[in-house]
Amino acid sequence: MVTERVLCSGNEAVGWAAIYAGCQNFFGYPITPQSEIAEFMARELPKRGGVYLQSAGEAEASYMLFGGGLTGERVMTATSSPGLALMQEAFSHIAMVDAPVVAVDVMRLGPGAGTGGQQGQTDYRVVTKGVFGGLNYFIIAPHSIEEVFEFVQFAFHIADKYRILAMVLTDFIIGRMSEFIELKSFDFGPLPEKDWALKGKAKKNNVSNCHFSGLVFGGIPAFFERQQDKFNKITEFETRHEVYRTEDADLLIASYGSLSRISRGAVNMARAQGLKVGLFRPITLRPFPKSSLLEEASKTKKVLVVEDSPGEFVDDVEAAVKGRVPVHLLDIKARHIAGPSGLIFPERILEEVRSLL
Amino acid sequence: MKEGIAEKQVCKRPTLRQPLPYWPLHHCPGCNHGIILRLIIEVLEETGHDGNAVCISGGGCSARFALYLDIDSATGIHGPNTAVASAVKRIHPDVLVFAVQGDGEIGAIGLGSFVSTAMRAEKITSISINNACFGTTGGQMAPTTPLGMITSTSPEGREAEGTGFPFHGPELIAPLPGVAYAARGSVHTPANFQRSKGLLKKAFQAQMEGLGFSAVEFISTCPSNWKLSPVECLKFVEETMIKEFPLGEFKNILKGNEAA
Amino acid sequence: MAKGRIVIDEVACKGCGICVVICTRECISLGKEKIGSRGTPVAYISEPEKCNGCGVCGWLCPDFAIDVYKSIERRMS
Repeated sequence: MVTERVLCSGNEAVGWAAIYAGCQNFFGYPITPQSEIAEFMARELPKRGGVYLQSAGEAEASYMLFGGGLTGERVMTATSSPGLALMQEAFSHIAMVDAPVVAVDVMRLGPGAGTGGQQGQTDYRVVTKGVFGGLNYFIIAPHSIEEVFEFVQFAFHIADKYRILAMVLTDFIIGRMSEFIELKSFDFGPLPEKDWALKGKAKKNNVSNCHFSGLVFGGIPAFFERQQDKFNKITEFETRHEVYRTEDADLLIASYGSLSRISRGAVNMARAQGLKVGLFRPITLRPFPKSSLLEEASKTKKVLVVEDSPGEFVDDVEAAVKGRVPVHLLDIKARHIAGPSGLIFPERILEEVRSLL
Repeated sequence: MKEGIAEKQVCKRPTLRQPLPYWPLHHCPGCNHGIILRLIIEVLEETGHDGNAVCISGGGCSARFALYLDIDSATGIHGPNTAVASAVKRIHPDVLVFAVQGDGEIGAIGLGSFVSTAMRAEKITSISINNACFGTTGGQMAPTTPLGMITSTSPEGREAEGTGFPFHGPELIAPLPGVAYAARGSVHTPANFQRSKGLLKKAFQAQMEGLGFSAVEFISTCPSNWKLSPVECLKFVEETMIKEFPLGEFKNILKGNEAA
Repeated sequence: MAKGRIVIDEVACKGCGICVVICTRECISLGKEKIGSRGTPVAYISEPEKCNGCGVCGWLCPDFAIDVYKSIERRMS
């Protein structure tokens, strides 16, 4: 089969992936740097008989996601950090009713209005720990446009397979940069039937379903046990990470998303200078690849966390490493300039590596 | 010629979802929510929509309607019931989708969702229940609390200076082009109960004919928080509530109603 | 004989008294001895011969506690 190869941005790749995953429904609200996703959906979904529903604000989009997910059709929203904050309530309710939904967070620098939508990695804590109610959801962080295209489709699969919210976490860099992708549908395997979907009981032998996002009638320990079992299965079967040139590394860089691409460049530069440096890249952020990171860290002498944030991802790295080796942090202060277009360059990472080795 | 006496059942218990988590219904003695629940069930059955309906309720006293009604439903998020319903309707346009909501859900926390859903002319129906307070949480002042009424957060009686004026949901949205039907009814007398059934049937008809957003508000009593007996509450509806919140249709674009 | 008959479910009845004032024939009362499931009085038909099976007590009972029956005279040949 001949597939089409297109040059597109990360945001557009999100749109293509949704279409190739058979998602016909997008509920969202524009926000920089995500608006291209909404614009893509507004162009492409109605052409295909799908639903582009622009809500009045992100909170409303997340409530639509809750309703849409319960119909059993594939549904998606996309937002950025300030909008994500407004969606946290709905995410908790979505978790309670096990609604399958996909959410894309195109991170931007915070807090508050931040830089109006430019680069940053300051959502790590809020996506991995920020929803009230004690439950986890699935989070995957691509580092290339190809991965965006695959992971968004994978997110739909995970959402349907486990009845959970699956989030794809990108950022300004990944959202806006362009690379080539091959347009195709990925087949990740069989999925369970959705006999719980809301569509009118006449279509289900007069058996109606009620989805209640509350625990007022009890069953509390059983509910949490069921959710733990679900997430344990996801942890066992769906955790992903990548290692790059770690075989004999004295120092392990830990980095995710766009910063892992930059760190990869730093690894290459370090190796060219004879320094034994490797990269550990978590791909799923929840479940966090704890045991793999511990294994890799134990083979090395130091870990350097590189993140474009004042220090959020580093907490999970420290927890995973369990003090076996020292963990250092190169954070947002490593940006090359003080303005909104500041970035952490590979040269800066190399400088830090040299000072540590 | 033989004479016989037969019996016909003129009123029976409406069909509820089984098994219910508890019985009787959770509403306080004399609360009109139960009467409104009967109204909804009878209208669904009489219009033949009970097999083809989805109910979205949210929080508060009306939240459990999703549990009581034996139709597809979801409940739990407090406020944006019409947003949740919009998504369901967009995905299943042939299904009758309605939201059941309280005063806060149309006039406070859910106001944004209520108005934006009306603006978008979503083909769903909002059934709101006005009991002049936030009942479940203990009777705090609500958007629909009439001026002068004492509640737990207006202990000296509601004053316009500082809290504004009572919220009239159906009247507010009636002028919007996307609204096909907006009305208010009550269930405090048998005649009003029957009239309210008619209002809801028209609202559902407006939805299924694809004419736009439809909204019906029903006045309910709240004996626990009004601090009145159930029977005194009926009088309060007649003498105070209906004066502040007039009954009737504020918008009706169904065929045959051009004059309304 | 009465033209109608009601059956009150004593578990569902919360003693609110709406049926007492709504009844078009004033034939329902709240009992003084029985305590219902909410610690409230239980309604009962105090003057059954007056019942005409109009049904309004059942419509307006918030707890669906009243089933109403109406007698129909049938002439068969």
